[in-house]
This record gives sequence, C-alpha cells and structure tokens, in this order.
Amino acid sequence: MTEHPSLVGQEISGCEILNKVAEGGMGAVYKARHKALNRVVCVKILSPALANDKKAVELFLTEARAIAELDHPNIVNVYNVGKEKGYYFIVMSFIEGQTLSVMLKKNKILPIGLVLDLFEGVLLGLQAAHEKGIIHRDIKPSNILINPQGQPKLVDFGIAKKVDKEKGSTKTTELAGTAYFIAPEQALGKDLDTRADLYSLGASLYYVLTGQFPYNGKNTIDIIQKHINDPVPNPAKIRSDMPGWLSLAVQKLMSKGPDDRFQTAKETYLYFKKMRAEDQLRVKMGNSGRAIDLGEEGPLRIVKEEKNTTTADKESLKKLRAQEAAVKKRTTSSSRLPLIPQLDASVPDATQRKPAKKEEQVKMLEAQDVKPVEVFMPAKRSSGRFSQDGKGASVLASLKVLGKLIVFVPLFIVFIWGVSYLFHTLGTICSVHVNPHAGLFSNLLMPFFADQYAPKQLLMTGAALATLALVLASSVIKAFSRSTLLLLIVALVSYMAGLFTPNVPFMDLTNLSQFIFTPEYYLCYLVVAVAWAMGLCWTLNRTVSQGILGASLVALSLVLAFLSAHLTIPPDAQNFAVKIVFYVALFCGILCMYYLIARSEKENMLLPLALLLLSTVGIWAYSVSGLAGNINHTLNALTQRIEVKASNNAQITAELEKMVGINSNRSLFSTIDKTNELTGLSDQDALAFLEEKVNQEAPGVFDETTKPLFLYFLLHYYRGGESKMEFNVWDYTLSFPVKNFNRNAEENDAYFFLLALLYAFGTISCAGNILFSEDL
Amino acid sequence: MSSFDIEFAAVTDIGKIREKNEDNVLISSDLGLGVVADGMGGHSAGEIASNIAVSVLAETVRKVNNEQLRIPDNFLPKLAPIERKLLMAANLANAAIYSTAQSSDIYRMMGTTLTGVLLDKDCATAVHVGDSRLYLFRDDKIIQITTDHSLATEHVRRGLLTRAEADRSKIQNVLTRAMGIKKNIEFDLLKFPVKVGDVLLLCSDGLYKGLSEAEMAKILHEGHHTPIVKLCKQLVRISNENDGQDNISAVLIKILPAQKVSFGQRLKRLFSRS
Repeated sequence: MTEHPSLVGQEISGCEILNKVAEGGMGAVYKARHKALNRVVCVKILSPALANDKKAVELFLTEARAIAELDHPNIVNVYNVGKEKGYYFIVMSFIEGQTLSVMLKKNKILPIGLVLDLFEGVLLGLQAAHEKGIIHRDIKPSNILINPQGQPKLVDFGIAKKVDKEKGSTKTTELAGTAYFIAPEQALGKDLDTRADLYSLGASLYYVLTGQFPYNGKNTIDIIQKHINDPVPNPAKIRSDMPGWLSLAVQKLMSKGPDDRFQTAKETYLYFKKMRAEDQLRVKMGNSGRAIDLGEEGPLRIVKEEKNTTTADKESLKKLRAQEAAVKKRTTSSSRLPLIPQLDASVPDATQRKPAKKEEQVKMLEAQDVKPVEVFMPAKRSSGRFSQDGKGASVLASLKVLGKLIVFVPLFIVFIWGVSYLFHTLGTICSVHVNPHAGLFSNLLMPFFADQYAPKQLLMTGAALATLALVLASSVIKAFSRSTLLLLIVALVSYMAGLFTPNVPFMDLTNLSQFIFTPEYYLCYLVVAVAWAMGLCWTLNRTVSQGILGASLVALSLVLAFLSAHLTIPPDAQNFAVKIVFYVALFCGILCMYYLIARSEKENMLLPLALLLLSTVGIWAYSVSGLAGNINHTLNALTQRIEVKASNNAQITAELEKMVGINSNRSLFSTIDKTNELTGLSDQDALAFLEEKVNQEAPGVFDETTKPLFLYFLLHYYRGGESKMEFNVWDYTLSFPVKNFNRNAEENDAYFFLLALLYAFGTISCAGNILFSEDL
Repeated sequence: MSSFDIEFAAVTDIGKIREKNEDNVLISSDLGLGVVADGMGGHSAGEIASNIAVSVLAETVRKVNNEQLRIPDNFLPKLAPIERKLLMAANLANAAIYSTAQSSDIYRMMGTTLTGVLLDKDCATAVHVGDSRLYLFRDDKIIQITTDHSLATEHVRRGLLTRAEADRSKIQNVLTRAMGIKKNIEFDLLKFPVKVGDVLLLCSDGLYKGLSEAEMAKILHEGHHTPIVKLCKQLVRISNENDGQDNISAVLIKILPAQKVSFGQRLKRLFSRS
C-alpha cells in the first residue's frame, strides 16, 4: 500500500494527520491529533478517485451529517464533516482497542455471555441509527470496535458505501456489503430497509459464536448466492453449549424474507434481554427447567425450510430446477459439438443460453498461470526442450528425450538401411532391361513394362511396393514423420544405384577419398542440397534462420544443378524457348527463396516445393540444352533427306472392305494413319533399313558409337512422329549427365557416397527432430 | 492471409450525461483485431485502465505475430496458437493495469472490461471479461456470444432473478470479473467459425442499455448495404437517443468474400513484404 504522501503531517480541519490506520476502496482512515482539543481523533478522507463524482460527494456529506446528529454511545462519534484542501473528510472519535473480528481471532472462542453483551450494545446503536432512517448496509465483526472499557462501537456507517449503491452510478466490482454477511435482498439488488442490517447482524452473530461463516463457497458469487438460496444453517450444530433460544434467534435473524426476521433492532434487543433473564432464572431454579418451556416460546417460530422460505423464493427454486435441467441437457450436447453459436435453431431464450457457456470458459488455474514477468522471453525458437523451467521437470524431460533418442535413432538407421538394401537389390535385378540409348525416365520405368521379366523381379517389385507403403506409414511415428521425403529419395537413389551400377557391391566405398572434391560428385551434393531444401520447404512455421538456410540451399541447388549438368557444349542460348526456360527457372528459384524467407503458411507448403523442383529442372535443362540443340539440328537435317514411302495400307484396307461389303468408317482415321514402310518391320529390320538410308545420305558423319543412337531417334521419328522423337531426345539429353555419372559411378562409387551422405543426413535430422521438435 | 476480406468500424461516444469517456475501442485490419474496453474507477483511472487494456492487447498480438515476443512453452500448451496468443495478450494487459493500479492512490481500484475478437482464417477467437458484449449477426438473427460477468447475470444463471428483473436491478453494474482488480483473472475464451455475411458487434454496456437485441438486428438487417462505418455510427446514435446514461462504444466487423488479388497486387505485395 502506498502512503498518501501529501497528507501525513498536514493539517485538515484543525487536525494534524499522524499516520494511516486503514485503507479501503472508498478512502483512507488516518490517526490525527485535534490541535484545539488536544485529543487523538480519526480522520476519514474520501478517496480522491471518488472526489470528482458530485453525486458521491453529496451522499458522503449528507450521510456523515446524519450520523453526526446521532451521538450514541454505541456509535462512533462524528465531530466534523467537510472539504478542505480538495479533500472530503470526516473527523471522528478515535477508538483505542480492537475490532470484534480481531478479538475473535485472538481468543478463538468467546464466552456466550460476552458475545451477547456486545451484541446488545450493537443492537442499541443500530436502533438509534434506524430511527434516523440510516441503514448501515455493512454490519460485520470488523465494523464493530471494542474500546478498552469493553463497549462496542459501530463504525463505517454506510457512509461511502451508499455511493455505489445508487443506480446509474459507475461500474464497480464491489458489492456494498461483505459477501459473508450480506442480506439476500441486498445481494439481489432489491430495495433495502433496516431489516437488511438485522440479517447481517444475525450472520455476524453466527460467525462470532461459532467461529465459522454461515456460508462458504469457492468464490464470492457462490457465497452470495448461498445467502439467497441455501437453507439457514444451525449454529448449535457447531457450538453445543449454546442455549436453544439463541440458536433459533440467530436463524430467525437470518431468514431469507425480511418479514420472517425480527422486525426491529429493538425487538431483537428486548428478546435477548428477556431470554437471558429467563436463563438466569432457570439456573437459579436448577436444571429441572419447569418454569420455561422452550417449545412454546411465542415469537420464535422458525419455519422448517428445505431451501427456500418465501413463495417468491419457491418460484425461483422452480426456475433453478428448470435451469439445472437445461444445463445438463446443454452440457451433454455441447461437449461433443464444436463451439458454434447455434443460429439455426430458433434463437433460444437468453436465460437458457447462459449455462452452456460454462463449457467455453477456459479456466486459468493457478498452476497454469504464467506470471507476467516470465512471459517476456527473447523470441528464439532454438531453446528447445531442455530450456523448460523447473529443474526436476527439465531433468525428467531430458531423460524422456534421451530415451526416445536411444529407441528411435537406431531404429531409423536400421530402417533406412533396409529400405536402401531392398531397392538396391531390385535395381540390380532390373538392370538387365537397361537400354544404353534410352533416357533416364525410360530406363527407370522400362523394367516394369518389359516383355519378359527378370527372375525374381516380380517378387522384389512386390516387396519394394510393400516397403514404400511402410515408408509412408512410418510418418505416423512422430520421430520419423519428417524423414518420409528423405526415405523416398533414398529408395530412389538405391534403386538407381542397383540399376545403373549393378557390378559395384552394395555400399562399397573404397574409392571414395580420391574423388570427394571432384566434379564427379557434384550430382551427389545436388541431391543432398535439394533434399535438405525440400525438407525445409515442408516445415511449418519456419524460423528466420531456417528460412535463410532454406533459401541458401535453394541457391546452392541451382548452382550445383548448373555445374553437375554442365557439358562441353555451351547452352543453346540462341533458342528462344531455352532462354525462356532459363529465366523462368531463375524466377522460380528466387520466388522459392522468397517464400522460404518471408512466409511459412500452411497452405503454401507445396508451392515452394514445386518452385524448387521446377527451378532445378529448368537450370538443368538449360545446362544441357546445347546437346539437345545439336542432336535436333542433325536429326532435322537427316529427316529431310531420308525418304520413307508412306505405305498404302489404308488404301488396301478400304478396297478390301468395299469388296466384302462392310463400311467401318475407317476413312476418317486412315487419313492420319502414320503407317509407312517401316510399320510392318521388326525393330532390327527397321534399324537396318534406316542405317542403310543414313549411310546413303550422310556417309561418314557418324562413328560407331553415335550411329545407333541416331538410328534409335530416327526410328521413333518414323514410328511415333516428331514429338515422340523430341521427347526421346530431351529424355536422352536431360539424363546425359546422369549417364555420365552412372558411368563414373562404376569406378568412383558415387551412388554409395550419395547414399552414405543421405544416411548421415537422415540420422542427424531424425535425432534433431526428437531433440528440438516441440510437438513430438 | 485470411480466406475472407474483413471490414472494421469503431465508434465511441461519451453519452448524454457523463463528463468523461471511459470506453476505449481499437480496430486493426492488419492484426484482424477488434477490441472494446469499458473502464471504471474515478478520476481518469477508468480511461487509463481501458486504454492500457486495448493497447497492450494489440501490441502483444503484434509482437507475437512479428516473433518479437515468444509465448512460453508452458503457457497453456494444449490450446491452439491463436488462443494462446490472445490469452497471453489479455493476461499481459491485466498485469499492466494491475501494476498501474497498485502504483498510485489515484489509480487504486481501477479496472476495465475487455472484449476482443481476433479473426484468423475462417475462425473468430474472442477473449472476454466484464459486461461488454460480443454479438454475432448471422442470417438476420443476432445472438449474444459472450456472457456478462455481472452479479445480475450470475443470479439469472442460477435462476435467482429473471432476465427482466436483472435488467432493472441495482446490481447490474456490479461486475464479478474485471481486469486490473486482481493479479490473475479468468478470461472467457470463445472460438467459433465465421462465414461470409456475418457481422460481429462488440459493444460496451452503454450500447445495449439503449438498444434491445431486436432493435440491433433490425438496424443491421436494414443496413445490409450501408457502409459499416455509417451503420456503427447509427447504432451508437440511436442508443444514445434512447438512453445515453453511459458511454457508448461499438465495433462492427463484417466478413466479406475474399476479393481476387490481381497479379499486379500480388507482385506488389511480394516486393513490399521482402
């Protein structure tokens, strides 16, 4: 609490402020010395927060003046009221001593006689106030001061409290009155009369007698609502030495309906007096107790209540039951349904709608609460799992992570090895189908469309498909979930290793060291870079550093793509299409980098991936375009010279049909029928035919290695047309660097070097995932 | 990027009899955020409390978005990121108000209500404390999404008062929960999907005291094609004419179909972002 700096030591209304005694929502109470009278007084200052509220001030002053007129021994004396130096003040007598609540806390249990003496005094004071039409509104043990002579004095006389009672005044979180002692009508915001004070007095009496509040609850609202709705508790159940009449009197004071209580403070006072006198009489007469029969006592008829006493309250009970039923109904349905405002149903009555909201509240439990200071942390992501607060928790967490590492990393190594071994074996089996002239894609797929399968090929294909399914399924295991892409790449590379270098034993790395920095391995680095970049493209919520790493990997991939596909023939930069491809590839690369650095939205996960692949392929294509250009040039020249007669198949068929008398409407198709004299020939015959033609038209142009290749292209031209030939040319040229790579790989074990890199990369990333991924 | 286009409008008015406007409103289309706060406490404390509430909330959301501020891992880890973001922002705002309130006598007991909506993709996430309200206007029906944290509403909930009694009650302005009163408070967190054509209305108690739900629905229905800024002003004006005893604030959020972004705009956005 902050000391009001300007007030201590100052003088207000002839009183020198000494020190602060207490502080409440409405103002502060100071101990002060009245200079003229030379006596200690108490000065209450209206909170500066309320001093601007004209209505509040008016009420403060009116009420204080009314109490000043009271002058009762059981009410604190008011000497002066007014405004000075901008402060509204009340000067009151200063009472040495303690409040009733402090007294109770010190003594644990108070003799019933003492309690009754004190409360009789309070009742007298209250009666005096009520006669003046002043309602205290906040009777509670801490507002009853006991001076050294044992005289009770009622303080805090509804003065400032009335302020926020007025309708239309500002919002507040405080209800006038204290939850433990509040009268039901006060808690419901109904009009009050003096009988509300009697309820609070009864509740205070209950508390002072038993040491327990009449109602307890998990929060203020709960307590308040119990005052409104719960049956009146019986204090005699807690304190057995209590006379029966007192217990009933307390319950009568605490009746829900004001009409069921004692109607005035005086009536209560007189009743207390009478009953105590009778008690004494009974003591004198011994325990036979004949003189008085408690059961026939007139004024004390406590209605046995279930939960409610008055008819009005019974109404509300009915309402409550209906509410509870509604709550139950709503809860069962809303626990399953998403939190959608139900607009389709006719708008439900507002009162019915409320209870279901409970479901939607997020309870901020103390344990979960984060202190605001701890919230400010540098925006770093890499802090990972180990940085969690709490030593015990962090040790436990790190043990858990360690356990996962021990289980999953070896499992991953075994898994990736198995996948790669299986696909390598498949590749080796399929290697018999490889056609040296065909391009990469043809060679990769051809084995599965071959006329005759190699032994065990079908079996291995089945096994490979099952493994692929297993790889995809492994993404369910969270530790492996980010390695699926890598596993697929490993499978492909292993297959290619088997397919193109069937003679190199699996994972033979003997020749590795001499080639490691030569261009022959560029393709390996390219694959690793692209795989890594793809992994980063695939990452949700990338951090800035991840984004930058990804972007630089994309750039590296582009450079490596250019280098690894680089041929002695310069790119065909004259060709407009090639130029376009180059610029588009560059643009895609830059766009991909931009996406990696600047954005990481979920829906755009595939886009950077596609951009990356597109740009890499584009650069690759640009790099080899020189070769394709040359081949196409030569082929164009050849096809113009070589003449292949169109066959008259169609004509023959048509004549035949005419003869037989059927009309198959083939004429439409026959015009585009590509049949020519090569159609009917077998591959070998057709090639021989073409070779003869080539030898005629371009003698000495081709040597023994290039001639079969061109013949292969020409065959496609005459059988499938120009587009099929071009496809084959591009397939050939695009995969030409790979072919070189394959040829080299038989010597330098490049495939297995690549596989080793991928293993290492995969293992590290798997371990990294376990260590740093938050959602594992 | 949101799948919708969202329009925001906010109006606050002092009302007929108050000397100060203790309400604060904030809208930000960047953040997809709309907030209403209704301060309480004498002097200028109410204004300050509500001001801190909206500004700290918005600032925190912005910082989390820009990764200048990280949500601690142990902060309600089971919630969705957007819910955690909003709750943390609300908690920070509460802490800021509370510490300000403790710092000086003048500000003691100050507090504020807070109702904020954060729109993300096709979902609205609302954080709420106090008696400001969030309404959803959909298919010509208006529905109150939030529950007032007032003693009167609490009584209604338990069947101790009827809604009509509560509206007349003296304890209507007694809040059971508000920001700045305690160090840690409970917020209501609500999440619901929105669709094209929805209008969200956030308002302080001044507005709904002068306007029934039916009247609100009528105005929103008739103003289907009116610009929402105009609509917002109209709501506040009519409420003020009817009641005007308190400050009146309203924030309107309208969900529109996403407009096709032209290639030029995309390119512009691309370069402006990088």
